[in-house]
Amino acid sequence: MLEVKGLSKSFNDVNAVSDISFSVDSNSYVSLLGASGCGKSVLLRLVAGLLAPDEGAVYLNGIDITLQPCNERQIGFVQQKYALFPHLNVYDNIAFGLRHRTVDPITDEAIVKKEVFEIIELVGLQGQEYKMTGQISGGQKQRVSLSRTLVTKPSICLLDEPLGALDANLRERMTIELQNIRAELGISFMHVTGNEFEALAMGQKMLVMEEGRIVRQGKPQELYNLPLDLATAKSMHSFNIFSGALMKDVINKAKSQKHSSPHSGKASYCALRMDKIDIQEGTNSGSGIPVEFVANEFLGNKTIYFFKTNCGHICEVEEHMSLTAPRNLSPNKEYQLNFSAQQILLYDENHLLIK
Amino acid sequence: MNNNANTRTLLLLSPGIIWMTLFLMAPLIMMVYVSFWTQTTFTIKPDLTLQSWINFFNSDTYFGALLRTIRIWLTVLFITFVIGYPVALFIGQFIKNKTLQTALLVTCVIPFWTSFLIRVLAWRPMLGKEGAINILLQKIGLINAPIEVLLFTELSVIIGMVQIYVVFMVGPIAFMIGRIDESLIESARDLGASAWFIFRKIILPLSMPGVIVGAIFVTVMVLGEFATASALSGRKVNLLGNIIITQVGSLKWAFAAVVGVVLTMVMAVFVAIMLKIVNLRSQL
Repeated sequence: MLEVKGLSKSFNDVNAVSDISFSVDSNSYVSLLGASGCGKSVLLRLVAGLLAPDEGAVYLNGIDITLQPCNERQIGFVQQKYALFPHLNVYDNIAFGLRHRTVDPITDEAIVKKEVFEIIELVGLQGQEYKMTGQISGGQKQRVSLSRTLVTKPSICLLDEPLGALDANLRERMTIELQNIRAELGISFMHVTGNEFEALAMGQKMLVMEEGRIVRQGKPQELYNLPLDLATAKSMHSFNIFSGALMKDVINKAKSQKHSSPHSGKASYCALRMDKIDIQEGTNSGSGIPVEFVANEFLGNKTIYFFKTNCGHICEVEEHMSLTAPRNLSPNKEYQLNFSAQQILLYDENHLLIK
Repeated sequence: MNNNANTRTLLLLSPGIIWMTLFLMAPLIMMVYVSFWTQTTFTIKPDLTLQSWINFFNSDTYFGALLRTIRIWLTVLFITFVIGYPVALFIGQFIKNKTLQTALLVTCVIPFWTSFLIRVLAWRPMLGKEGAINILLQKIGLINAPIEVLLFTELSVIIGMVQIYVVFMVGPIAFMIGRIDESLIESARDLGASAWFIFRKIILPLSMPGVIVGAIFVTVMVLGEFATASALSGRKVNLLGNIIITQVGSLKWAFAAVVGVVLTMVMAVFVAIMLKIVNLRSQL
């Protein structure tokens, strides 16, 4: 089990990560969601031992490894851009850790071969063993990078945006394969990503990071259904966030419905899920907000409609194509967005959910 | 369409081809041709003969000069590598700031702000019997009598050449090392490799193209050397370059051409071997 307590690191007085604590259970899949530049990669480097923290400690299976050199930790790190050794072929890339590690290197080439071929079979790289890394595709490079780490049997494997450079089709396939590979080996994965769908789909536990801090951790479904703070809601990219006059307008419209929130006075922000809004032509009823249609994006199984409110705020509405047919909206007509008061989440000035 | 493209290609290539033909191919062919001419004391006739070639390989002086040239070249090459590589490693790997990296590389070139001959001659007051090094060593009591072997010997020629040419080794290696992606080193560390293994298995192989380019630079310059040898050896150490100078001076064109062809062959063979070891085109 990996445990991180109060980890902080700053560069030139700018905090990259501050006071981060979390744990990764053995044999589990944890995903960490954060926008680019929020300190995800720095956090991984601190855990892997490639950077030294200013404060805090890292424990692996109860042992403090904060000061242990990177090459002696049992933590694998799969780099974002694969970082394959360009002068070695696939086989030698995978065998690198087994042959050259400081702790317990394998000198018997027969054992190296056996282990390398086992992992090659597991990740499905058969037939590519003796190709140079420049001759294989992006997806195969990703597998080489992964198997190079996994073959050394780390206690935990850190994956830095492992699917980021793959095309959508391959990404979906790898999502399932990663989970299968992990389950087969029985080690923990910590999967870092900027993609909310990946984070939701992969993790048994999910961490949400913003501006160098872990703002929330929990089960993906719980975090998605009821984000306890604004940063988590934002990172899901599934909520319209309103503030100021527009927020008041939304709340007032909700109050006109029967279920009004007694705490709405304290609210500084409100969030409304994109797939819980109803589009209505014309502005006849008083319970919705009037909007102007801007554009739509057809995504196959769903369509996203973009509307502009009176104050210029862009509001997104998502409709799944299994529930309704694509709408033919026109910029010249008037529309109104209706919602149920129960769907509105209110947040106070400290960005915390008002329950 | 295809014809047009071909004409354009030829047109774009022609300045280079004309230049190389006039100033590289023609002189080379001429040199090989002249090496077979008949040489008498004061004249040279285009009657083909092997005499100059036989003279070269039969004479201890000239063949000995070839062996000496090769020995000094390999020594200088080895020392420039041994001194140059760590410097390049420091600049390319340990200095992360690109500006500082460039500044340090420029610093390496500062000696080149003076003329080549001054750089060579400056070694005389350093290495001489009454030179700076001997005085210093005597002052701190390391030696009682001056070390005479420091100047006007093969050693002084080697010291001079190493100082002048080491920078040509540092530059290309530092460039290649600087290009190694930091994530490769991080990955190797994470896979458990020690600093020594990372150097041996990652940094050294990936910097080989730089070593090869540096070795080719140093080789081409050292093999063609004559000034350092004559200035720092008191004309005692004769390299092939020195022999070409004396032969041209005494109008023995055919013989000078033989030496020239031999030097060119040595360089060509070395460069070919080096390029065989590392595929520069795929690396640079």
